[in-house]
Amino acid sequence: MKQRKLRAGDMALIGMFAALMAVGANITSVAPFLQVAGIPLSMQPFFCLLAALLLGSKRAAIAMIVYALVGLAGAPVFAQFSAGFAPFAGKSGGFIISYIPAAFAAGWFLERNIQPSKIRFLIASLIGTAIMYLIGTTYMYLALKLWIHTPVSYGTAWGFMIWFMVKDTALAVILSFIAPAIYRSIHKATGFNRNHISST
Amino acid sequence: MMDSMIIGKYVPGTSLVHRLDPRTKLITIFLFVCIVFLANNVQTYALLGLFTIGVVSLTRVPFSFLMKGLKPIIWIVLFTFLLHILMTHEGPIIFQIGFFKVYEGGLVQGIFISLRFVYLILITTLLTLTTTPIEITDGMEQLLNPLKKLKLPVHELALMMSISLRFIPTLMEETDKIMKAQMARGVDFTSGPVKERVKAIVPLLVPLFVSAFKRAEELAVAMEARGYQGGEGRTKYRKLVWTGKDTSVIVSLIVLAALLFFLRA
Repeated sequence: MKQRKLRAGDMALIGMFAALMAVGANITSVAPFLQVAGIPLSMQPFFCLLAALLLGSKRAAIAMIVYALVGLAGAPVFAQFSAGFAPFAGKSGGFIISYIPAAFAAGWFLERNIQPSKIRFLIASLIGTAIMYLIGTTYMYLALKLWIHTPVSYGTAWGFMIWFMVKDTALAVILSFIAPAIYRSIHKATGFNRNHISST
Repeated sequence: MMDSMIIGKYVPGTSLVHRLDPRTKLITIFLFVCIVFLANNVQTYALLGLFTIGVVSLTRVPFSFLMKGLKPIIWIVLFTFLLHILMTHEGPIIFQIGFFKVYEGGLVQGIFISLRFVYLILITTLLTLTTTPIEITDGMEQLLNPLKKLKLPVHELALMMSISLRFIPTLMEETDKIMKAQMARGVDFTSGPVKERVKAIVPLLVPLFVSAFKRAEELAVAMEARGYQGGEGRTKYRKLVWTGKDTSVIVSLIVLAALLFFLRA
């Protein structure tokens, strides 16, 4: 990977996407319609993948690191407005960490091609989702086993997560259809080009 | 709610803990997380309990705020406790109801592990209750400064954290505004099958992301215009000051660690 210094433009974008992740985590507080059967829909995986598809691997991964750090520093940016060390100790803490490699991998796969096709968008978002659940569920299994001292089998951990996975896979598919449209609108409105690191 | 996004869970105050340098608080937490695992008998857990209660009372943060911090973890603690009582079969039986036997080892183990959890969460919650996210960001930047030698972009990370903290409430408000604007134009967010509702997200997301990109661009131009050059030679508006209080806190923590070491079984 080429070593590029982060420019002011990149830093502003990364900060903005970390903020967007915070909005996505609790979007139901401003958009109460995003509920399915009373369960608020967390848009974090969706926003994380969108960051990857729009910003590319490196900047998206840094945005996810910044997001995790901001939460760790005590701003209530995680789901249910939680913050600090406690969400990481809980069983879903692995997902916050998994956004980093997931965003990187999805972005990396998309970058292989300068003019990515729809299929490539789809595969990129599916790769991202798979990594999220692989890390998130394994973390949950380990957390339950090692420090929550409630050992369940690895299979049970997956059984618990399967419905969330179905939901997020569906969202990832939808995302891959609308991401090119979002990119075009942004490109038209601001001249942003995914393949260029900003010139400012 | 919008305001609470900026200051996080911070409870304003002037207590000793509030006035400590954020670096001290971060180091304290790091050390505390390490030494909490030294405890393995009644004396050591009691000592840690005294320390925790002492720090909590020094902050003068209302009890209800602390309980809010403990809420997400309380079920885990209870569950762990019950599980240990049921699964650990060591020592003499204390009491028995039908098939249900409680062993001394299980009870003691359950109490210890639950206490460890409560101590950890209380102390880490205190950090976010007595320090604003911006202060913590400054503290982290200073503490991680030596890692710059390893080419880790410490200053840049801290700056990006500040940017994102600054824009979270703005973007929240923006989402709200866009949603209302689209509803005024007849987009139906609130009814219909799931598929329709998911489709309704598009007219919400596109303006939100376009606006985020525009704001980022404006911010970058503003930074460049003011001659932003990265961390080198940059002066600070908020300066961190290390005082005698901070040194004594660190020393007391080392004393605590030493005491734990001698008292542990």
